Amino acid sequence: MVMGGTQLSLRENLSLELRRGALVLAVLTELRHEEYGYSLKKLLADKGLEIDEGTLYPLLRRLEGQALLKSDWRVEDGRPRRYYRASAQGEKLAKELAAEWQKLAGVIGALIK
Amino acid sequence: MELVDRYVHEVGQYLPSRLRADVEAELRSLLTESLEERARAAGRPADAQLAADVVREFGVPRDVASRYAPEPQYLIGPRLYPAYRMAVKIMIPLLAAVVLVLMVIGQFQHQGEPPSIGPFIRATGSFLSTVLFNLGVMTFVFALVERAMHRREAAGSAWDPATLPPVNDPDRISYFGRIFVLYLIAALALLFNFFPEWVAVVVFNNTDSRVYQLLEPAFSRYLPLLNTWWALAFALNLVVLRQGRWRRTTRWADLALELFNAVILLLLVIGPPVFRYDLLIKVVLQWFLIFSIIKACVMLYRLLVRRTFEPWHAAAAK
Repeated sequence: MVMGGTQLSLRENLSLELRRGALVLAVLTELRHEEYGYSLKKLLADKGLEIDEGTLYPLLRRLEGQALLKSDWRVEDGRPRRYYRASAQGEKLAKELAAEWQKLAGVIGALIK
Repeated sequence: MELVDRYVHEVGQYLPSRLRADVEAELRSLLTESLEERARAAGRPADAQLAADVVREFGVPRDVASRYAPEPQYLIGPRLYPAYRMAVKIMIPLLAAVVLVLMVIGQFQHQGEPPSIGPFIRATGSFLSTVLFNLGVMTFVFALVERAMHRREAAGSAWDPATLPPVNDPDRISYFGRIFVLYLIAALALLFNFFPEWVAVVVFNNTDSRVYQLLEPAFSRYLPLLNTWWALAFALNLVVLRQGRWRRTTRWADLALELFNAVILLLLVIGPPVFRYDLLIKVVLQWFLIFSIIKACVMLYRLLVRRTFEPWHAAAAK
């Protein structure tokens, strides 16, 4: 039981690690168009990438802190929302990361065939 | 929804104040939206059960806050904690030993008198207050070093193999040693400024303990000089710790501080009486002065004859 639990936790950790870099690429790519936190989460989920809120929202703040995103508050439907969008630097980085991703996916794909 | 408000407030409690209002506002907006969406999907109004599901999925407030906070939310992190624990483990038995020795001396000096528990209680009280004082100073120093190291890492710079120090590197520092020096400086500065009555000799005996304070009120005229020296020495050691090794500039600064120290000692030795047992203490200070002058000469000699490995020169010469 302990071994099973340990292995599950190890798999979860490695899986999280694998996803971590990909999340940044996904967020930067989707934020070429303006979105607020909840709409971005739904957008990504609709495309098959589920991210829990506790990870996504702090990630948005961190990317903003690194000047890769910019944000502003707006009131819509009587509700304040913080809208995010990739900065010029964020868009440039997203393109570079996308190229890197394609290359890596090709290599890994060939390896695991 | 009350639960959402409580949750947002709880997360905010773990955040630095400059982030709190902004993160709380965003979190409230996101959670409310999520709750409404969930209520729509469930076909019923948002209730406490749905709110509980939403905040549970979001995560434990402390974990959520730690993801938002850009800086470490601890005083002493995992990197320095083992050294801190070791320092505390060394300090407590050492202080206990000092108090025990003082008690034993007191017993020998007053043999034949009826035994009493009074001196033991006083010694325990004095031991506890000394431990608390030293623990406070040590924690302060370690926390300061943690901050300094974190800032250096956050500033970040590309690592260059040319900056690797030689195998036999006389300028390598012992982190533990430097932190210990910082602790000593901070403890001395606090002691002389705020608790001068503790600079004393305590003699315990069976019925009583006597405290002989060593500093006369006139000693305070030397405090500005001593404070300057402590502040400079503290700053220098912090810089050396951040740089990770001695450099030529810090070696020269160290020499200047040693000369400054000699000047202060000289002023104390030739100045008017400022200590109880002035003659005896000044004889001790004369020996410190001689030692300080010899040390300064050795430091100067080493600076003049030995080339210090300067990492940035090595990188530039590549």
